[in-house]
Amino acid sequence: MSNFQPVSGEIAVSVQHLGLTYTTTIDKRPTLKARLRTMGRGTKHTRVVRALDDVNLDVPYGSVLGIVGANGAGKSTMMRVMSGILPPSQGRVEVYGKVSTLLALGVGFNPSLSGRENVLLGGLAAGMTRKEIADHFEEIADFAELGDAIEAPMRTYSSGMFSRLGFSVAVTVRPDILIIDEALSTGDAHFKEKSLNKIKELRGDARALIMVSHGLGTIREVCNEVAWLHKGKLIQRGEPNAVVDAYEKFLHVGKSAAINEDI
Amino acid sequence: MNKTAPVEVYEPFKAGLPPLTRYWRSLWTRRSFISEYSRSELHEKHFDTVFGQVWLIINPLLLSGVYFLLIVIIAGNSDKMRYAHLTACLFLFYFVNHSMSGGSKSVVKGGKLILNTAFPRIMLPMSAWLIALIRFLPTLVVFFVIRAFMGLPWGWNMLWGIPVVMITGAFALGLAILISCANVYFRDIGSFLPYFSRTWLYLSPILYEVKNLKPKLRTFELVNPLFSMMDAWSRAIVHNQMPHLESLLKGTAWALATLLVGTYFFLTRERDFAVRV
Ligand SMILES: Nc1ncnc2c1ncn2[C@@H]1O[C@H](COP(=O)(O)OP(=O)(O)OP(=O)(O)O)[C@@H](O)[C@H]1O
Ligand SMILES: [Mg+2]
Repeated sequence: MSNFQPVSGEIAVSVQHLGLTYTTTIDKRPTLKARLRTMGRGTKHTRVVRALDDVNLDVPYGSVLGIVGANGAGKSTMMRVMSGILPPSQGRVEVYGKVSTLLALGVGFNPSLSGRENVLLGGLAAGMTRKEIADHFEEIADFAELGDAIEAPMRTYSSGMFSRLGFSVAVTVRPDILIIDEALSTGDAHFKEKSLNKIKELRGDARALIMVSHGLGTIREVCNEVAWLHKGKLIQRGEPNAVVDAYEKFLHVGKSAAINEDI
Repeated sequence: MNKTAPVEVYEPFKAGLPPLTRYWRSLWTRRSFISEYSRSELHEKHFDTVFGQVWLIINPLLLSGVYFLLIVIIAGNSDKMRYAHLTACLFLFYFVNHSMSGGSKSVVKGGKLILNTAFPRIMLPMSAWLIALIRFLPTLVVFFVIRAFMGLPWGWNMLWGIPVVMITGAFALGLAILISCANVYFRDIGSFLPYFSRTWLYLSPILYEVKNLKPKLRTFELVNPLFSMMDAWSRAIVHNQMPHLESLLKGTAWALATLLVGTYFFLTRERDFAVRV
């Protein structure tokens, strides 16, 4: 996987007729007891949520694709399918390269471990070797600017510190395809600017970036293409300003300062 | 030009097993995750500190002491062979038991990791099993110290303990995998487990020896996988005798069957876990 060089313009991710249905249990916790109690009464145990419906999307290398959409539109779901966490219910996703999802490296999955240990564990789970992680660790810690906190248990972290570490891990492992799902929203102004610069830098390397964000200002600034999802369907895709304008009009919020500010 | 690129294709999964060689390869490249994850779990429970390790030894010792007292009171005799048998079998039983209880929580506990990372989920119960194994090893040392104090004879036949531990280990791994998967669908399994394992303890030749059992009661042997394993273990490691070949074969059959069934269930369902935990 290391000898692979992304070429600008080549397809990085191809999403074809993608559909995804969540099947969740109605009970908060599925239990044996509950199952025995409702047995024979023919009660349905599941609720079906159609999170993605016939989505077609190509992401070429060298581009930054922004994804916008209301809460529950299926953005995070699509990112999970692209990174191989959820198998699609219909359709097909082809990925040409190494994917790194922001937070995919499991950062913060065990809050009683230190930031360092979480980075190590998450990296190993994502298929990196100990050496690769050790080689990158200094860089990750430097970029996150957490100081000594990197050795403290992650339950003592603020949400901004959490996302700082997550972002640093995701960008430092040099993935071919980087997926960022809203995790920049809690960073402070300094870190936001730093991460935006990093994103622009990565864009220059002919990588593919997919960015989910409610910060429409950022989307306009860094993306060169935007897709708008609504209730699992792809509504529009194209030039950032046009799509974001249409989306804003849809939201009836206009260009209020509140949206432009946040990432 | 891009034909050389590593292409990952995600498609709807058909019911059944994922491509096994691919699965195995991705498991193999991540093997150090299992040891690192176990290490961090042990660290969390403070088993890497001096007191934690002392506790790992004192706890089973106390347990075996309590059970021994119970036997002396109920049966009225105290024979050192019996104590050695009890200790050895109890320790092995707790290996299986810890593997089961740790395994039951493993997948559900890994929720956040499962939602955010693509990796073979079977590594989670495997780590739980490894933790149980790591906790088992010091108790083995304790047993040998006890054995030395009692002056029981040592001999080559004790080496039969190695295959017995391997068989029991495979069985425990199969159980951990099976239960971790079942627990995703039935979250209350963990609360039934203590009763189940207590019953299992009494129905296995741990507090008593197989040879003391009435022939009528030996029908348990047919349905209890631990029966032959415990018998073989006791013969090898306590009595320094060669276990019955029959026990070894039966144990192997149980272990392989559990491992295969558990892995099959797990692999056919694990792609479902991300939408369920
Ligand atoms: N684990 C799950 N189980 C069941 N339904 C889910 C699950 N995760 C998401 N959904 C449903 O799928 C739909 C899409 O969710 P998703 O998280 O992809 O939205 P989103 O676009 O990321 O929203 P947001 O902007 O709030 O992050 C929603 O209707 C949600 O209720
Ligand atoms: Mg989301």
